[in-house]
Amino acid sequence: MHNAPKPKLEDLPTPAQLRRSTLIAGIGAVLIGVCVYLPAEYGTDPTGVGSIIGLTEMGEIKQQLAAEAAADEALHGGDESSSLMNDIFGLFVSTAHAQEAWQDEFTFTLEPGAFTEIKATMEEGATLNYAWTSTGGRINFDLHAHSDGENVTYEKGRGQTSGAGSFETPFAGDHGWFWRNRDDEAVTVTLQLRGDYSQIVRRQ
Amino acid sequence: MRPSLTIFTAVVLLLIAFATSAHAHDVTPGDAGYIQEIWGVHIISFIYLGAKHMMTGYDHILFLLGVVFFLYHMKDVAIYVSLFAIGHSVTMLLGVWFGWGINAYIIDAIIGLSVVYKALDNLGAFQKWFGFQPNTKAATLIFGLFHGTGLASKILEYQIAEDGLLANLLAFNVGVEVGQLLALFVILIVMGYWRRSPNFMRQASVANIIMVGLGVLLTYQQIAGYIAST
Repeated sequence: MHNAPKPKLEDLPTPAQLRRSTLIAGIGAVLIGVCVYLPAEYGTDPTGVGSIIGLTEMGEIKQQLAAEAAADEALHGGDESSSLMNDIFGLFVSTAHAQEAWQDEFTFTLEPGAFTEIKATMEEGATLNYAWTSTGGRINFDLHAHSDGENVTYEKGRGQTSGAGSFETPFAGDHGWFWRNRDDEAVTVTLQLRGDYSQIVRRQ
Repeated sequence: MRPSLTIFTAVVLLLIAFATSAHAHDVTPGDAGYIQEIWGVHIISFIYLGAKHMMTGYDHILFLLGVVFFLYHMKDVAIYVSLFAIGHSVTMLLGVWFGWGINAYIIDAIIGLSVVYKALDNLGAFQKWFGFQPNTKAATLIFGLFHGTGLASKILEYQIAEDGLLANLLAFNVGVEVGQLLALFVILIVMGYWRRSPNFMRQASVANIIMVGLGVLLTYQQIAGYIAST
């Protein structure tokens, strides 16, 4: 019938041993739940253990991402709102013409956890050349665009200190970077641009 | 029925959604989102993620339950669980390190079959049908290799940064074993109570038949997913 004999009672843990194990498992589950699971998933750390072992940061990032995903969903349910939002929130950066080949240069500093967006308003088929460096730490970025239901990701990176290149736009709209500092120190980024764009839009 | 499948499906659907809908930037929430934001060595974080992955992966837990179902001595439990751990560690580490791009549906279908195999083995089906008993230790090791390949394909989807990859991967592997031991602790307590019951052997037949059914269901879901994805 089976691939094994019936267990002999003397081979099995006694009821007292099982009760003790159950108690240990119960206490362990509560401890793990409070000291590990809550910090790592929700960023709440009632005991302080999560912060010591570095799991609270994970929970905080997850909560932040979840909130951003929800906000994105609400914001881009109908995408025509995005350019309007850019107009409302966008602050136009004065274009200080660099004497070299670059048209514009931007410098911004992000505290740990902070983010910003810098985008160039471009027609379809236009080209943007760029170069950037970071000082003080390393930076995460997402070079992308979205407009009227279309979107494109040119490049994503994390923990980088420099980048350079160019891209050609597949559709008209705002094309550019989402920057976020996930390092421990404030990071200053200097971005240089050259290309066919009508304006630069920044969003915090 | 199976959170890891649900999560996996959700991730796939999210990826499709991200590919077609507009977003300020591609926000990937959850564990994968966290991993994609960080770089460098994060030992404790990856131990946690490994343990979470194991404990929420019903297919791995189901196979583990099948393996220890009729093991009454701690020495045997230790031997078989170690064989399973060696098996899945080897392919998990190699799979991620060399980036084996094995289709997740196919490998998860095989993992479903491993549950079917072990439950049939527990029922003595191979002796009954074929008149011989395949080596149970070898089967545990070999299926461990497949489980590890499945783990590797999930980790590759996480896109762990190159910076700190090896240390984080080893930490994830430690976490998988921690999660397995925590799950095993609970399984052994439940089995301890159950085995003392006079009806254990009769109920064991039913339980293993149910396990065959669950394994078939897991396999079916993966094959259906594979067909839908092609």
